[in-house]
Amino acid sequence: MEGTPIESTKEFYDLWLEGYETTFGRLLEMPAVGPLRERSEKMMRGFSNFSNLYASGMESNSHLQSVLMEAMRKTYAKTTTEMEGEIGPEKYRDFYKLWIETYSKTFKEFFGSERFASDLGKFMSHSLDFQKYNQEMLEENYLKPMNLPTKAEIDEINKEVYSLKKKVKELTSQVRELSEKRKIPS
Amino acid sequence: MIELESIEYLEKFKQGMDVFLATTDFSVGTTPSEVIYGEDKMRLLHYIPTVEKQYPVPILVVYALVNRYYILDLQPDKSMIKKLLAEGFDVYVIDWGYPSRADRYLTIGDYVNGYLNDAVERVKERSGLDKITLMGVCQGGTFSVMYAALYPEKIKNLITLVTPVHFDTNKGLLHVWAKNLDVDKIVDYYGMVPGDLLNTGFLITDPIKLMIDKYVNMFERIECESGETEKECQLRNEETIKNFLRMEKWIFDSPDQAGETYRQFIKDCYQKNLLIKNEMEIDGKNIDLRKITMPLLNVMAEFDHLVPNDASRPLADAISSKEKETLVFPTGHVGIFVGSRSQKEVCPRIAEWLGPRSLLDGPGEKKPKAKRKSPQSRKNEK
Repeated sequence: MEGTPIESTKEFYDLWLEGYETTFGRLLEMPAVGPLRERSEKMMRGFSNFSNLYASGMESNSHLQSVLMEAMRKTYAKTTTEMEGEIGPEKYRDFYKLWIETYSKTFKEFFGSERFASDLGKFMSHSLDFQKYNQEMLEENYLKPMNLPTKAEIDEINKEVYSLKKKVKELTSQVRELSEKRKIPS
Repeated sequence: MIELESIEYLEKFKQGMDVFLATTDFSVGTTPSEVIYGEDKMRLLHYIPTVEKQYPVPILVVYALVNRYYILDLQPDKSMIKKLLAEGFDVYVIDWGYPSRADRYLTIGDYVNGYLNDAVERVKERSGLDKITLMGVCQGGTFSVMYAALYPEKIKNLITLVTPVHFDTNKGLLHVWAKNLDVDKIVDYYGMVPGDLLNTGFLITDPIKLMIDKYVNMFERIECESGETEKECQLRNEETIKNFLRMEKWIFDSPDQAGETYRQFIKDCYQKNLLIKNEMEIDGKNIDLRKITMPLLNVMAEFDHLVPNDASRPLADAISSKEKETLVFPTGHVGIFVGSRSQKEVCPRIAEWLGPRSLLDGPGEKKPKAKRKSPQSRKNEK
């Protein structure tokens, strides 16, 4: 494994993930049996959700770290050329300005790239899968056994109320229109 | 030398902290108004006139669902609302409020055909006119464009400020990111899309400047000018901090978004770009921009990092209006409301365009009836 420490870490993680997916990962996806089959299978799903989240987190983090390194390199290069290598406290303002401008430009370029958009999309997607899984587990293992309302049940009621409200508004408007029509002599 | 510099910075920091600690009152949206209508979380505000003679045609301002309407009335000395009142306009604003989990199923149709239409009807009723001016800001501008296409008979003039209508561009970061968003997962998980999540998105459009430089600059600005007394300096610095805090409050005052509205806005607008293609539908009705025939003033900010000019400019070509004007000011997305050019250039140009168009057209147009105040009207609580 050669390259920068970040690239090497990423490479190591990719190897680890490949190993996991072909060994333990497969084991955890094995169909469950027995009276707790449904619950066990759902719980096992959590491992793959987490490994997906971790993988996308590692990937976006390594890209972000590379940009950080690039910004540092650019700042260093500019310090030597534009400030002639002097970065003492008396040149704090100049250095700060140079640092802010360089970092801001470098990060903005990266955030505007397709790569970041793809990283962000993947990471958010896996993060939401994982959070949704946790929510389901919480409902399944705690709220339902304790006979407490779940988010899904509250949403169901909210949907009902929304539809009813909409219907009432529609009917009120129709009643108003009809009353106005009746007022106009034909 | 080094010690002197360090002492100077520490002094400045201490001075800044003193002013910061002394600043507790920094109210926003202070122009007097009354609530004339309310429906669910939405309120319709009417601003109290400040001049004796007003133009007969009122303006209804439609702000975005993201952040709050009071950016148009952020500082007493830099208020777009105040300026429009001073120019003689009769101004109404929709405050969408803070939607809660019970509002997650609200759609764009509910906002446009429901709340916005009801607000237009109330303003029409109060002015006694059949048509009013609609002034939409940002996403509120997009909603206004949709409304003007669906109900052209109710709108006399359309003004759009920093409004996106053409979403297939790579100029703005939000446009790039939105294409890769799995919006179904976001809405299905959250229900109400958290305002903080959206705010994080806005912050990472320029994280270094928005999360570091802005705060460093705040302290840098706290200093006394030559010839200034200590008291004058203190007062000026307090005002600087107040304005900074007003902006901070506005930036982080982000209501959650109704999930279904967010889902449709991202999918139909940002991902499929249906609006400009005249293919978007709300409540089963097609939005055909060619049905917009009233005069249009499209105002853009040259350095807008959230709504690039490429996203706003195509509006003029997409509609059928004969009178259409596009204005571009060298400022940013927020600067257009609170920047130095806002009061000096933006508001006067809007007033100049709108004034002659806010008069009654002649015998064809209904004369306003006597203004009627709703018995439920109450002073807007600030």
